[in-house]
Amino acid sequence: MSRLIELLKENGGIDGYRVTEKATVSYELFFVHRKLETVRATDTVDTAVTVYVDHDGKRGDSSFEVYRSMTETDIRAKIETAAARARLVDNAPYELPEGGELNAALPTNMDGEDAKALATRIADAVYAADNIPGGSINALEIFIYKDTVRVRNSRGVDKTQTTHRVMIEAIPTFTEGGESVELYEDHRFTTFDAEKVTAEIAEKMREVRDRAAAQKPQTPMRVNVVLRPKEIYGLVSNLAHDLNYAMVYSHGNLHKIGDDLQEGGSGDKLTVTLRGVIEGSELSGYFDSDGTELTDTCVIKDGKTAAYFGASRYGQYIGVERPSGNLRCGEVEAGTLTDEEIASAPYIECASLSGLQLDLYNDYIGGEIRLAYYFDGKQTVPVTGISMSGKLSEVLAGMRLAKKTTISGQYKGPEKLLMKDIAIL
Amino acid sequence: MAFSAYLDGKRKDCAELVAALRKKFSYVSVLGTDVRASAYRADRKSSMAQDAAGECGFVVKMHDGGAFYEYSLDDISGDKEALAAKIIAATETDAALCGRMISADVLRDEPLKEDFVRETDFASYGDAELLDICRELSAELCKADEKVLNAFAMIQPYTVSKLFVTEKRELSQHYGWANGILMVIYNDGKMVQAREVQGSDKLAEIIASLRASTGKVIDLARHLTKAKPIEPGVYDVITDSSISGLIAHEAFGHGVEMDQFVKDRAMAKDCMGEYVASPITNMRDGAAAAHSVASYFFDDDGVLAHDTQIIRDGVLVAGLSDLASASQLGTEPTGNGRRDSYKRKAYSRMTNTFFCPGKDKLEDMIASIKHGYMLFETNNGMEDPKNWQIQCTAEYGIEIVDGKLTDNYVSPVVMSGSVPELLKSISMVSDNFNVIGAGMCGKGYKEWVRVSDGGPNLKVRVKLG
Repeated sequence: MSRLIELLKENGGIDGYRVTEKATVSYELFFVHRKLETVRATDTVDTAVTVYVDHDGKRGDSSFEVYRSMTETDIRAKIETAAARARLVDNAPYELPEGGELNAALPTNMDGEDAKALATRIADAVYAADNIPGGSINALEIFIYKDTVRVRNSRGVDKTQTTHRVMIEAIPTFTEGGESVELYEDHRFTTFDAEKVTAEIAEKMREVRDRAAAQKPQTPMRVNVVLRPKEIYGLVSNLAHDLNYAMVYSHGNLHKIGDDLQEGGSGDKLTVTLRGVIEGSELSGYFDSDGTELTDTCVIKDGKTAAYFGASRYGQYIGVERPSGNLRCGEVEAGTLTDEEIASAPYIECASLSGLQLDLYNDYIGGEIRLAYYFDGKQTVPVTGISMSGKLSEVLAGMRLAKKTTISGQYKGPEKLLMKDIAIL
Repeated sequence: MAFSAYLDGKRKDCAELVAALRKKFSYVSVLGTDVRASAYRADRKSSMAQDAAGECGFVVKMHDGGAFYEYSLDDISGDKEALAAKIIAATETDAALCGRMISADVLRDEPLKEDFVRETDFASYGDAELLDICRELSAELCKADEKVLNAFAMIQPYTVSKLFVTEKRELSQHYGWANGILMVIYNDGKMVQAREVQGSDKLAEIIASLRASTGKVIDLARHLTKAKPIEPGVYDVITDSSISGLIAHEAFGHGVEMDQFVKDRAMAKDCMGEYVASPITNMRDGAAAAHSVASYFFDDDGVLAHDTQIIRDGVLVAGLSDLASASQLGTEPTGNGRRDSYKRKAYSRMTNTFFCPGKDKLEDMIASIKHGYMLFETNNGMEDPKNWQIQCTAEYGIEIVDGKLTDNYVSPVVMSGSVPELLKSISMVSDNFNVIGAGMCGKGYKEWVRVSDGGPNLKVRVKLG
């Protein structure tokens, strides 16, 4: 990177630069049933450069990638081309983040581990849960990564952070009487806990067994619906995305500061804080791609939009004194809902959705339910083959949040979210 | 534009690395990729002209009748014996796994040496010209209606160079594709987004199409502000080409990716030769099946492009395979081995996937519906190849009453239900046809590749919500 910086400094046609280098080393195993099908390893470096040119009271920028295959002559030519492109671009002026040095690593217990041995231990932890009669794990992919990201810019930023992360894609399957069903789930972590991995896969094995037994309930009906952390974060992150500085600057945001997202509501009030770091999340970070130090930001407070967040450039455009940086994790404050309250009326608890469908513009929330548990007031049975749909504004107004909290991926917050009176088809 | 000079200079290095690794493995291939992309964008307040995400690097694949081994790296210069030793060491497994490997037929190395090139017109356009066109389009959209809050115009061309080398095979290919996008943010009491997407390997065609589409985008935005939620229910539906393609892709295409057969993850494995759709249904996939975004000459396993008929007259007749899955299943690979990038594994993936045209006239199809909807424009979809459930979202629908399209728009519209029920409900297939080359497809929630899909209009009965 040092020679690249020298070449950028030598170019008299640019007024600033940013260089982001991401070095990734990975070890990957792919299993078919319990047999090893593919072994992969990677050793790659991505280097992205942005040059900035001030002209006519405007600021232009242009980015390019530097490959290891490039010669110094190639790189000089890329800088020249980018500088020429930046002169064509006329954006409102802004400053790059200034100063700050950091060399940090996200917490992990995998640093220094032999990747080959670690991969085997992870595989063993997954297959330890493969012990339900009729059940099997039909495919397993294990990705072990070490990412080292370094950001330098022309105003003195020089920050490096290292992340050890694992992604597992396991496909629990259940076969009975010639009929076979599966569930898809991925698991991501930065700290390996074999017992936790086994427990999470075991839970999915139980759920896929339930999917095999699941029936389509009588529909249409209207019933309370309970969401779990993955979908809760899907809902919250969509609401937060609307509050990104870039959305505000481009007039794409639906809500402005002070808007009541739960107007007239009688449910638990929503408080969302976007965070740089959530324990165990691979998306945790101390700075964003500009090198901006990440500042935790409460974007929704007691149901009302409280702040915008995002990258330094767009923060400056809308007059934010200290931009938060692009935050990728979120925490939701606990609510008041108990399991007893949930069970006080019939409800459907979604265990697996094809994907939560949210459309803020059209005030819509819905999705296809692949496995859920239906409590009809007396007993709980697994159900499948149904979809739900509702008005997002009504869901927000009446929703309840669990007292109990959990951490799941980049989400920390209530274990459950209850949506009232949702149409099931 | 020509084949990557960098990769052209690496032919000898690839061959030497193959030779070094052949001392240990029966089959060795090296795939070199050099993808260069640019992006031009303008809106009311900002503009952009820069490189977009590209890639340049190598992936080495090795096989010896057991597991497959792959190593991804940025450059293969230098001492090949030392590099081969490094690759072998990096892809070793823990001793505990040595007895747990698959066995598969050793990959065949069929001799072939060929260079493929498909020309684009990208070199005819400079940075300033493309950015000016974006500015012009954005400005035209912004001034078209005072309710337009912002309007974005984007042009994104990219070129692909790939070099594939084994002991007996040396293939190169060079081609390009571009997408053009218009999007407006419109507020008439209700805020909406409306967009138009074009794809071609000729920028001249994209620019002309975008210029001709500005009125259509504004008109759509106006209608979407009046769109209402759909009353959930089961309806007779006419699909536009993009929704037909979404069904082909999500409802069925993922289910015939044959690496899922190996893993017993696809119900289609047990349905070969059976009726899976109504007898008027025909479906194809292949890089050679249509001229669109996924029309390469050879896949990332070095297998030449195919045109595969998946459904013939309602009967499932073939699946789509990469080299590894075909070797495990004992079938011929179909040229569907694709990688997200040189850093990722090759899987069986769709390319250009579509229903074939039929004999019905669109106006007759609409006239045949008492009450239903015509659905337009793909938003997203999610596959479930094992259990054959679908979820596909259309940007909007238009209500059909007494055989006529009304002015009543609904948005968004989510189709869900059972794949066999949906495909067997196809009762009419139009004689027109369009493949839309602007899509990205993931496998599960990762491994993104560019795909096209489409087809004629279909008349189906499906659950909408």
